[in-house]
Amino acid sequence: MTSNNRRCVVSGLGVICAVGNNVEETWKNALNSVSGIHKTTSLDTKNCYADLAAEVNCDTLDEIECPDEKDRASKLCIKAMKEALNDAGLGDFADSSRVSVIIGSCVGGVLSIEKYHRHGKNANEIPKMPIAAIASQVAESCHAGGIVTNVGNACAAGTISIALACDLIRAGRADVVIAGGSDSFASVPYSGFLSLHALDENGCSPFNHCNGITLGEGAGIVIVESLEHAEKRNAKRYCEVLGAGVTSDAHHITAPREDGICLLEAMDRAVKNSGIKKSDIGYLNAHGTGTGKNDNAEINAFLKFFGEENPTLSVSSTKVMTGHCLGAAGAIEAVFSIKALTTNTVLPTLHYSAEDSAALKEKVGQMDYVQNTPRSKELECVMSNNVAFGGTNASIVFSKKPGDVRSLVAKDKKIAVTGIGIVSPIGNSKEAYLESVKNGKLPETASICSTVTNDDYKELGIKMAFYRKLDNLGQLQTVSGMRALKDANFTVTEDNAKQIGIIVGTSEGGLGATYDFQELITEEGNAGGSAFKFPHTVYNAAGGYLSILSGIKGYGVTITTGPLSGLDSIGYSMNVIHDGQEDAMMATGTDENIPIITELCQKLNVAADKVVEPYSNSNGFVVGDGSVSVILETEDYAKARGAKVYCYALGYGNGRKNVKFGHISGSGEALDMAINDALQNAGVSIDEIDAVCGFANGFKKLDDIEKAAYVRVFGDKLASLPLFQVKERVGEGRAASATLAAAEAALMLGGELAEENAYFIAKDGVSKKKVATSGFKKILVTSFATGGSYSAVVLGK
Amino acid sequence: MANEEIKSKLKAFFMSDLGVDGDVLNYDTPLFGEEIGLDSVDSLEIISFVDDNFGVSMTGVAKENFQSIDTIAAFIEKNKA
Repeated sequence: MTSNNRRCVVSGLGVICAVGNNVEETWKNALNSVSGIHKTTSLDTKNCYADLAAEVNCDTLDEIECPDEKDRASKLCIKAMKEALNDAGLGDFADSSRVSVIIGSCVGGVLSIEKYHRHGKNANEIPKMPIAAIASQVAESCHAGGIVTNVGNACAAGTISIALACDLIRAGRADVVIAGGSDSFASVPYSGFLSLHALDENGCSPFNHCNGITLGEGAGIVIVESLEHAEKRNAKRYCEVLGAGVTSDAHHITAPREDGICLLEAMDRAVKNSGIKKSDIGYLNAHGTGTGKNDNAEINAFLKFFGEENPTLSVSSTKVMTGHCLGAAGAIEAVFSIKALTTNTVLPTLHYSAEDSAALKEKVGQMDYVQNTPRSKELECVMSNNVAFGGTNASIVFSKKPGDVRSLVAKDKKIAVTGIGIVSPIGNSKEAYLESVKNGKLPETASICSTVTNDDYKELGIKMAFYRKLDNLGQLQTVSGMRALKDANFTVTEDNAKQIGIIVGTSEGGLGATYDFQELITEEGNAGGSAFKFPHTVYNAAGGYLSILSGIKGYGVTITTGPLSGLDSIGYSMNVIHDGQEDAMMATGTDENIPIITELCQKLNVAADKVVEPYSNSNGFVVGDGSVSVILETEDYAKARGAKVYCYALGYGNGRKNVKFGHISGSGEALDMAINDALQNAGVSIDEIDAVCGFANGFKKLDDIEKAAYVRVFGDKLASLPLFQVKERVGEGRAASATLAAAEAALMLGGELAEENAYFIAKDGVSKKKVATSGFKKILVTSFATGGSYSAVVLGK
Repeated sequence: MANEEIKSKLKAFFMSDLGVDGDVLNYDTPLFGEEIGLDSVDSLEIISFVDDNFGVSMTGVAKENFQSIDTIAAFIEKNKA
């Protein structure tokens, strides 16, 4: 049985969707087989072949603090969060570091992007645009002071958020996690799915007519709590969250694998990680979008996986009521699944005629696809599945009993850094980057970017048939990822493809591509979207392309919190390895600088107008970009394949002090917390740290926070402590710079960067000189995000 | 519109909108072969481009018409008003 200290329970639920504005209303309408799908009233449907949507009808969304500073996606999420906290008997957390927020989203602040573009480019819209705003604003609303992050895996994001929440709790990093997902209905996804001919003009009909999806919107929140914490406060307990499985198709950027084998693998992982039998699952809330490709792949996967051991499993898709709520889907469906479990009621898929039922029976045999009306059924465990663009599959199990959860089975394993891939404005490989460092190369202008060329593709054997599909972000990501695998001498084969996963950290992800798509449809109308460009708008497209190219089929998650996502990708990868989910991980940080990104920085008055260097007390920074990938694996795995080891990842930590998203002032002490947390996690004392790879970029407000924290944390030692700042050369490349800082630390510890410019902070100012790095044994790496989050990682020899 | 003009317009579209390298794209190069690697998403873009620019609908048209720039141009030629 799962030991009590690894048990995660659900103590609160919140939901808002087209079927209802709270759990009670939504559940009641669902039991009455009410569908929220209607003709859309909010978007222009001129020349569009489909005009249905499942929109939220709620006039109290603005009854929150500072509604003007929040996108609809944040408002929906905060509404669901408030309901869930209230349900759980929880309130304000006073910045407690034990309370985390993890929110999934697909299109995030896309309505604010549209507003910015269509209505005079008002800078106030900019902080509302990225997905990262959602979790940060949720945390700010209830003063959650733990790990705050967003999952950007499109339509599987909501499920993955809940899985991640359990990982955090089981790793001892949180007591309470506000987990879920949120997305709003908007022109970009509407036009995008139209261009893919993936909308059903008659409304979605999952597992039935399968002519396409109908878009919905909403948010779902599940309060996940450690059993210990819930017991202590005598909290309501809906159910347990058992294991989850996350895999990558490595197949196609929009279409799922027809054979469904990687979805099957996700379900297999979920069942095994739960420590239950397949036959314990009484109901499966399927992804069931209503497209032929998805539904047939699912039908096949369910028959293959459950056919023998659980042939009469009940299955349904609730999207025919809620529409496809993208990043919120998994969270809303988790709420449905938990309500189903606790009330022993399976919700149906609607709109089946007798002929439809007969046709389905032909396909699925005795499997119980519940239709039209709810069914009473004694349930022990339920499963919820979601799949996404980029080839992500996610599956999670909710249960009345504790199961026998498999977690942290590899927690004592040492994690080695064995490969580095760098794409940066000063070079597209580790070698080119090191050469530029040696030559003292600096930015030539205040906005710089990496340039991937055909030579990179040629060298890596990437064919035109593949690279022609990539947008800029995808180019950066695939080249850095493939270079990291090459550097690690890691050949992905059929045998090891599932033993390695990818975590991509990104600050803005597909925001630039989303803006470009918006620009296109403002010009052409919603009927004029591009099927070729639409996939690039999802934040996990870059990671998806990398999985397709490399063949990596294991864990695949894109996190987006701000620049520190590039460091959290390392921390979370350590967690995945320690959890025993994978033997090896690629942790990467990727952000781009296409013209709109520089424009947004300039509008926000954070872009420097000339080249500036760290600690120059400037009013802005050099806008940069890049992608840096690092291979992490257990020492055993590295040894078994004879890999060279740069260094070891010893520990990671986080800190948060809530300030408004888009702001940093007043949050500095959270950096102290992140550093101390990382040191503690690594079992390393402050005196053992030989150097720091930091995040200063020249912007006074940011650099002062960093300096002040180091003064507090390192005291007298600081004057002789070398600080390395990669942004002096690559600009503010957000997540890419955060991973680059870690890569530089690894290069120093691995003996490949013998000399580097170091900054020294003394009472009378900052000085800079070249230092030899050969004596370093342990290096601290730090990063930040607006909203008040900081992360740190300790690497050592 | 002359056949040559249609072909050159199509080629320009494949290069600018579908990321195809012009050096390897001849009028008879198989579009859905290994080298160019178009897929179902790209065919949606071709249909939309042909409709917008030549007023010819290729929705639901047999696969062989999409084989190369030559075959698409021939279909347009044959079906334009």
